[in-house]
Amino acid sequence: MSRKLTVLSMTLVFLLALGLIAPVAAQDSTTVRYFTFSAAPDYLEELDEIIAGFEADNAGITIEVETAPFADYFTLLQSGIASGDAPDVFELNYENFVTYAANDTLLDVGSMVNAEAPYYPRALEAFTYDGKQLALPESFSDVLMFYNADLFDQAGIEYPTADWTWDDAIAAATAIKALGDDTWGLFSPVQFWEFYKKAAQNGECKFFNDDMTESTINSPACVETLELMTGFQTSGLMPTAADLSGVSDSELFLSGKLGMIVTGIWMFGAFADAPFNWDVQLEPMINQHAHHFFANGVAVSATTEVPEAAAKWAEYLTSSETVAKVRVAAGWELPALDEPAYFEDYLKQTPPANRAAVFTALESPVTPPVIVRQSEMQDAVNALLTQVVDGELTAQAALDQAKTEIDALIQ
Amino acid sequence: MTWNSGFQKWKWVAVFLAPSLIGLLVFIVYPIIASLWLAFQDWNMLSAPKFIGLANFQELLQDQDFWRALRYTLTFVVLYVPSVFVIGLGLALLLNQKVRGMIIVRTSTFLPVVASWVVVSLIWKWIFNPSYGLINYGLALLGIQGPDWLFQPQTALYAMVITSIWKDVGYIALLYLGGLQSISETYYEAAQIDGAGRWRSFRSITLPLLSPTMFFVAITLLINYFQLFEQVWLMPMTDSAADRQLRVIVTEVVRNAFSYNRMGYASALSWVLFILIFIITFVQFRLQKRWVYYESQ
Amino acid sequence: MNHSNAVAGTMQSTKHGEGIVVSHNGFTSIARALLMIVIVALMVLPFLWMLSTSLKEQQYILKTTPELIPNPLTFTSYTQLADRIDLGRTFFNSLFVALVGTVGQILVAAMAAYAFSRLEWRGRNTVFMLYLATMMVPAVVLVVPQFILIRQLDWVNTYQALIVPGLFSAFGTFLLRQALLTIPKDFEEAAFVDGANHFTIFWRIILPLSRPALATLAVFSFMGYWNNYLYPLFVARKESVATLPIALATLQAGPRALTEWNIVMAGAVITVLPILVAYLLAQRWFVRGVISSGIKG
Repeated sequence: MSRKLTVLSMTLVFLLALGLIAPVAAQDSTTVRYFTFSAAPDYLEELDEIIAGFEADNAGITIEVETAPFADYFTLLQSGIASGDAPDVFELNYENFVTYAANDTLLDVGSMVNAEAPYYPRALEAFTYDGKQLALPESFSDVLMFYNADLFDQAGIEYPTADWTWDDAIAAATAIKALGDDTWGLFSPVQFWEFYKKAAQNGECKFFNDDMTESTINSPACVETLELMTGFQTSGLMPTAADLSGVSDSELFLSGKLGMIVTGIWMFGAFADAPFNWDVQLEPMINQHAHHFFANGVAVSATTEVPEAAAKWAEYLTSSETVAKVRVAAGWELPALDEPAYFEDYLKQTPPANRAAVFTALESPVTPPVIVRQSEMQDAVNALLTQVVDGELTAQAALDQAKTEIDALIQ
Repeated sequence: MTWNSGFQKWKWVAVFLAPSLIGLLVFIVYPIIASLWLAFQDWNMLSAPKFIGLANFQELLQDQDFWRALRYTLTFVVLYVPSVFVIGLGLALLLNQKVRGMIIVRTSTFLPVVASWVVVSLIWKWIFNPSYGLINYGLALLGIQGPDWLFQPQTALYAMVITSIWKDVGYIALLYLGGLQSISETYYEAAQIDGAGRWRSFRSITLPLLSPTMFFVAITLLINYFQLFEQVWLMPMTDSAADRQLRVIVTEVVRNAFSYNRMGYASALSWVLFILIFIITFVQFRLQKRWVYYESQ
Repeated sequence: MNHSNAVAGTMQSTKHGEGIVVSHNGFTSIARALLMIVIVALMVLPFLWMLSTSLKEQQYILKTTPELIPNPLTFTSYTQLADRIDLGRTFFNSLFVALVGTVGQILVAAMAAYAFSRLEWRGRNTVFMLYLATMMVPAVVLVVPQFILIRQLDWVNTYQALIVPGLFSAFGTFLLRQALLTIPKDFEEAAFVDGANHFTIFWRIILPLSRPALATLAVFSFMGYWNNYLYPLFVARKESVATLPIALATLQAGPRALTEWNIVMAGAVITVLPILVAYLLAQRWFVRGVISSGIKG
């Protein structure tokens, strides 16, 4: 008999479990669903602060936040859209913006946004498509060269200046490498985006011809650029993946064993407690300067049921004074706004001392080349780059093959 | 047998099978059919799917990446499955012995099974580290210079096979154990009375009565490992040659579905994999009559 | 082969489920004991490293010569973990889903397995092949269609979305079918003669006889629910229903930022412990599985 009882109770529990969670009752106020990747895990409190500010100014609108790790974010966003359940407002980065814009998933917010809002004109422009304002620039970041001042002192050499070339950097790296077996001179990753940026620094290497019908990645100028990049590793100034053995380049820098590293300004916070003096400088040039410029934008879904509320939130999130203050104070990316007053505090924080470089770098920005089959192009080029580093292919051979593969992708 | 025929029988079949079958049809078969339909479409998830007939399959057959992924998948299966099949059986025979402390051994072999691949890959990346990992350290003691393991595609494959054996052997042994302990002791007693030795008992009693379990293990291993994914996705060292060149079929499915936004092509890839697995399993089932002994038949 | 007579004399089968009593002659014992120690060490050491990392402070993790004993030893990573994610709620969600899911899955699979093994009906093997076939489609490709289905049922961010689809696993049915096929028909025939119907036989005879297999399935089912990441990522990310793997994934920082490995490892430790417990509990059923050996020959 007790067996039957156990069966019954188990079935009961089971059925209860099925019917357990009743749907949450609908709310009276308007709810705007906001999906973000940049807020989690480190900036949720700041986001709450911003939401509080918005809801205070806009009674009747509630913001509901959903987050996801960056690696999964776009998959989740796409499936949300595919299943008809897109969030009302969501973040996009520049590389993905074009895909979403081209597929009619974004609402034109041009007319809904205050014309006086102080966006950087270039940033605003980056998020237009076909003449329509399909997203608002939320933040920007760029990539600079970070250097370990203590190691420079030890080697008795001058700190990097704003008009250094890569030859200067190589000389400094050689001096620093000489300090010890486990000390490295510099780190500039051998991967697609770095290659594109170095190509821009070279000035004559272009990945595509003018009307984007053919790839020109195997031109002599590009081969020269690639050889410069891989030269860092083959000459022993830069650790290979095997040398790093699982330690990330940032971790290597933090351990005080790396003289110079090319990485993004988002690392300011992570490096803040480094046990040595460090600063930033413009990245060395080949023939001219070029710096990575990344921008995140905020878009409103084309299928949202609350367009006005959503647009208000998008505008607030990207251009209000509250947001600018919170971001700058927390080091949570920089608002893409043309208001020097907002950045005064930012410029005063140290380390690094040379924060002005963040803005100087904006004068020579490069944005990634975006084709429809972007990820495939990156993966293909990256695979070939490792073969060059491993000595399996010459730079010329690798780039010839890259051209064939890329041409196939842009058909 | 009267209880096994006629309407009554079908009533019972329905009662026992219905919950499982209905659920399977709704939650598994229906999505499977959807994915089959997708294999003939071009879909980036943001716009409506476009019908393109067999184009995905044609592209697949000419895609170097697909053939390379297939090669790596087959190599892995050929290396791993026989190894873990045999080692697992050996381990199960050991674990089945009533010795003090065996329960500790049994529990410890299950520890790797229980951990997720995320955790296991973190641990073994460290162990296989060419500079200061345990494996190369041990090899150095023997005077051998260890390879670059998880940095190069070929050696990374070997490292993954070893890690997978470590992780799964407890699970395989557990499955065998269930089978071993279901063997009624009357058989062993009878054999003993007849004067049979240990090896004879093993060959004539254990192996045949264990064969349904062995069949299950073989099928499960093959079905699972053609779909091998986590090790290959997680273990290669970032930005190394292994990371950028070592591919198996399911990593290509994931890459195409979630990085390249080509759901249609990804579905086509998985269906080709499915056909491959299906054929192999079908062959196994046919061969089953040759070596599997079912007591109830 | 020289030992065989001596061994045959000492080898006895035991009560079903307790393993085989073996010879305690000196050399074999020592060899066996050594083997046991080696195996335990192999299996456990990597996890000790994981545990040790979770007890370290951030800056001590990246030393090039790894240390097993943390110095200083600290629990801060656990408190930090509890700060970052709602540990209590997430743990409860995982536990609830896994427990209900496991019980459900066992019931459903056992019933289906009964239909596939103890009942004879036309088309039985074909339908079973259908089950097997569903195991051959890579789960990753089903996630998006399943997600869309869940959306249509309006089950997003609910417990049923996490529990229900997993109930109909073909693996469980396969496992139990194999186990049930090893049970001789004699048992049922006796019961039918006594006037029992299929349901009683199922409950009172077949299920108890298959305890080892049920215990095995329980552990794997629990593990499957507990470690599942990709599917829950799509259907249940809200904090009220999110499970451990989802919450823990948020700890890994984005590209080229710093991950706090001690906290990640703390999360890994917390994830591994409950399954270990589940395994230990299921162990008991293994060891004490009782067969009334009333039926001989």
